[in-house]
Amino acid sequence: MTGWLTRFPVRVAIGLVAPALLIVLWQWQTSEHIVTFAPPAAVGTALLDLIRSGDLARDTLATLKRAFTGLAIGVPLGVAVGIAMGIWKPIDRLVGPLLHALRQVPMIGWLPLMGLWFGMGATTELAVVGMSSFFPSMLNSHAGVAQVEKRYIEVGGIFRFSVAQRIRYILLPGAMPLVLTGITQALAFAWIATIGTELLTGANAGLGVAMQLAQVQQRLDIMLVIIGVTAALGFTINQLFRQLRQSLLRWQPSV
Amino acid sequence: MTSRAADLLPPVRPRRAFQLSGLPVGALLAPLLLLGLWQLLCLSGVFPPQVLVPPSGVARTLEEMALSGELQRHLGDSMRRLLLGFAIGAAAGMAFGVTIALSRLAEAALSPLFLTLWQVPVIAFVPMMVMFLGIDEPFKLAVVAIAAFFPMALATFDGIRGVPKSWFEVAKVYRLSLFQLIRRILLPATVPAVLTGLRVSLTRAWVVLVAAELLAADSGLGQMMEMGRQLFQIDVVLAGVIVTGLVGFLLDRGARWVESHATRWRAA
Repeated sequence: MTGWLTRFPVRVAIGLVAPALLIVLWQWQTSEHIVTFAPPAAVGTALLDLIRSGDLARDTLATLKRAFTGLAIGVPLGVAVGIAMGIWKPIDRLVGPLLHALRQVPMIGWLPLMGLWFGMGATTELAVVGMSSFFPSMLNSHAGVAQVEKRYIEVGGIFRFSVAQRIRYILLPGAMPLVLTGITQALAFAWIATIGTELLTGANAGLGVAMQLAQVQQRLDIMLVIIGVTAALGFTINQLFRQLRQSLLRWQPSV
Repeated sequence: MTSRAADLLPPVRPRRAFQLSGLPVGALLAPLLLLGLWQLLCLSGVFPPQVLVPPSGVARTLEEMALSGELQRHLGDSMRRLLLGFAIGAAAGMAFGVTIALSRLAEAALSPLFLTLWQVPVIAFVPMMVMFLGIDEPFKLAVVAIAAFFPMALATFDGIRGVPKSWFEVAKVYRLSLFQLIRRILLPATVPAVLTGLRVSLTRAWVVLVAAELLAADSGLGQMMEMGRQLFQIDVVLAGVIVTGLVGFLLDRGARWVESHATRWRAA
C-alpha cells in the first residue's frame, strides 16, 4: 500500500518538496520586500565571495581554534575530576556539591560575570567554552567509574594492583563508554557555547562575530552562509567523533 | 532518526553526590560550608570587593531588589516569556512529532528538512531572528519556542514509533477511530517519552532564553546581568547568576517530579 514510499528515488523526491516550497516562498517574498530578503541565488554568490576573500576560512579557523582550545582545557579537567570523584569518596563530598551548584546556571549565564572578571575577551570566551565542556565530561566520567562492576575491582584486589594500575587497567577501560559519551556531549555543548560567546562578546574573528556583523548590516545571504557552515561543521565534528568512538570501543560486544 | 533520541537524553547524573548522610542537615552542610568559605575569603581581603562580593552582600542586593520590586519584574518577565514561548514550541513540536510519526508520507516529506535544521544550534538562529523580528517580545518568544520545538518533536516521534505494532493491530480489530487511537493507545503509551521531551525542552528553552536576553532585551534576568556587567555592579551580576541557576534547578527538579509521578503506573 505504502510500498512505493520506501523506494529511494521517491523518498528523495518527496523529501525535496518542502525545501523547494520554502525556496519558492522565499523568492516570492524577495520581490515583496527587497531590503531584508536576499534572494536564494544571492546565498550562493555570498558563499563564493566569502570563500574567495578568505573571510570564511579566517572566521571558521578562529571559531574552531576557540572551540578546541576550550575543549582542550575543559575535557581533560572534567574527565580527571569526574574519575577522581568516582574513585575517592572524600573528593566527591568536597567538590561535588560545589560543582553541582555551579552546574545549575546556564553556561551562557556566566558570561557577564566572567566579562567583569576577565574582560570581554579571549579569556572569558575560553572560560565559558571550557566550562561548557567540563560539566558533561565530569558528570559522565563520574557515572562511568561508579558503574564499573565491583567484581572487576575485586579481581584487581586479588592481583594486588596499585592505585595507578587499578585506574589504568580496570576503572579507565570500564568507564570508557560513558567517558566517551561525555566527550560527545562536551563537543556539542562547546560548539554551541563558542558560537554563543562569539555572538555576545563580538571578538575580532569567528563565525558568531560574522553572524553578528551580518545582522547589523542586514545581510541575510551572509547570515545563511554562516548558519549553514556552523551546522555543517557541528555535524561533521559529531560524526567524526562517533567514528572514533566506535573504533575505540570495538572491543565492546554491543556497540 | 530514532538513534538521535540517545543524544537527547540528559547526561547521567550521579545522584549519590547529594546524599551525605541521608539527613537534610547533611545535605545542607556542604552548601553552607561553601557559603562560609566564600564569606571568609571576602573578609580576608584576598579579593577586593570590586572583584568578589561576599554572599552577605549578594543577599543584601537581592533583598533590596526584591523590596523595590525590580527582581520580581525581571523574574516575572523571564518566566512569562519562558512559559508562553515554551507552550507554543512544545505544542507545535508535539503536533509535528505526531504527524510525522503517524504518516509515512509526512515523514518522507518533512523529516529531511527537519533533521537538517536540527543540526543548527538554536543560538545560531538568533541573529537572523533579530533581523526579522526585531528585539522585542516576538523575538524572545520565537527563540524559546524554537528551542522547545525540536526536542519535543523528536521525543514525540520516538515515543509513538516505539509503540509496538501489535497495539495498532488491536486498535484495528476494535475499529478504533483516529481520535480513539490517539486517546486510548498513543497518549498513554507515549506519556513517558513525551514527559522526558518536555523536561529536556524546558531546560533547553531556559538556557536559550537567558542567552537571548543577554543579547537583546529591556528586561529579564539575562538583561539584569548584562546591565550589571556594563555598570560594574558585580553584586547584581552574582545575584542574577544565583537566581538564574535556582530557576534552572527548580525547573529541572519540577519536571523530574512530574515525570516520576506521572509514570508511576509503569513500575507496577
